[in-house]
Amino acid sequence: MVEQASSGTNGRSASAEGVGRFAGAKVSGCIVTLQPPPNLLGMSGSVSTMVDQQGAKKEKEYRLIDSVLAGNREDFHELIAPYRRGVYLTAYDVLQIEADAEDVAQEAFLKAFRALRSFRRESQFSTWLFRIAINEARMKLRKRREVPLETLFPDDDSENSDYTPMMLKDWREIPSEALLNEETRRLVRESIAQLPEKYREVLTLRDVNGKNIAETSEILGISIGNTKVRLLRARLMLRDIFVERTQRKPKQQTPRGVSP
Amino acid sequence: MKLDCKHIWRELSNYLEGEVSEEVRRDVEAHVAQCRHCAALLDSTHNVLVLVADERRMDLPIGFNARLRERLEREMSISGPE
Repeated sequence: MVEQASSGTNGRSASAEGVGRFAGAKVSGCIVTLQPPPNLLGMSGSVSTMVDQQGAKKEKEYRLIDSVLAGNREDFHELIAPYRRGVYLTAYDVLQIEADAEDVAQEAFLKAFRALRSFRRESQFSTWLFRIAINEARMKLRKRREVPLETLFPDDDSENSDYTPMMLKDWREIPSEALLNEETRRLVRESIAQLPEKYREVLTLRDVNGKNIAETSEILGISIGNTKVRLLRARLMLRDIFVERTQRKPKQQTPRGVSP
Repeated sequence: MKLDCKHIWRELSNYLEGEVSEEVRRDVEAHVAQCRHCAALLDSTHNVLVLVADERRMDLPIGFNARLRERLEREMSISGPE
């Protein structure tokens, strides 16, 4: 049914790797505890090495762009290859329907090809590309005319307004075994789907695709401060939705194929 | 400076990013050490984000790359970049 992830491992059973991205995460007993500040960027190596690598990547991209503009259209495939997955995931998180996400991803790449001459090279190619993808996804969503979920949550990103997280009795409990099973993946997907659109966007860019704050704000066309506030909301809301959904589940494991 | 719970919630995201000053980091950790609710909030938010990061490995639909390539080939042969 599915194409394997780029790595050799089974893409759906690699939770341990996911946890590893946060150097601080440790499974102890029933609770996954937080060790001193985890670095969400999961970066390793020196800053200068990173800058060198990014510089080389940028140069290669510019070479490919020049080549495509000079008529070597084949090179466009190589240019976009590193971003196929990210663009699809972003579209999927916004739209929540596979076929729509694929359409949007194709449209976005096509649009990028046609507009390639207008790419000013002031931002990264990927930032420009993701902005096109987000816009395509938004347009698709408008066409679907979904009932807006925004009303469920306060729609105010001003720095002064606070989002108050739910106070649940047992909210510490996210069982460690939950990190490893398929049911949890489904719950995560459903929880993301339940977020209002603008929170889904910021969350998929930053926390799913690993874009940094600056890139995320550039793609969304909002300020860094606003991005941070929106991201905080998105994370707290997602946690609330997820915890609520997890606790709604009966304690006893239900037989396969029978929904709780 | 002592932080109250609301301050912690406001800093939570930045704290998880490692994007707070040394002073705020110490304040957050001091608060969390004595506030069960905020400790739980921080833990569980972190855990959910670990799960979310795992979504990155979600499988592409089968044939996605082939269909994309085919579509691009078709359209690119009609017209180049404007």
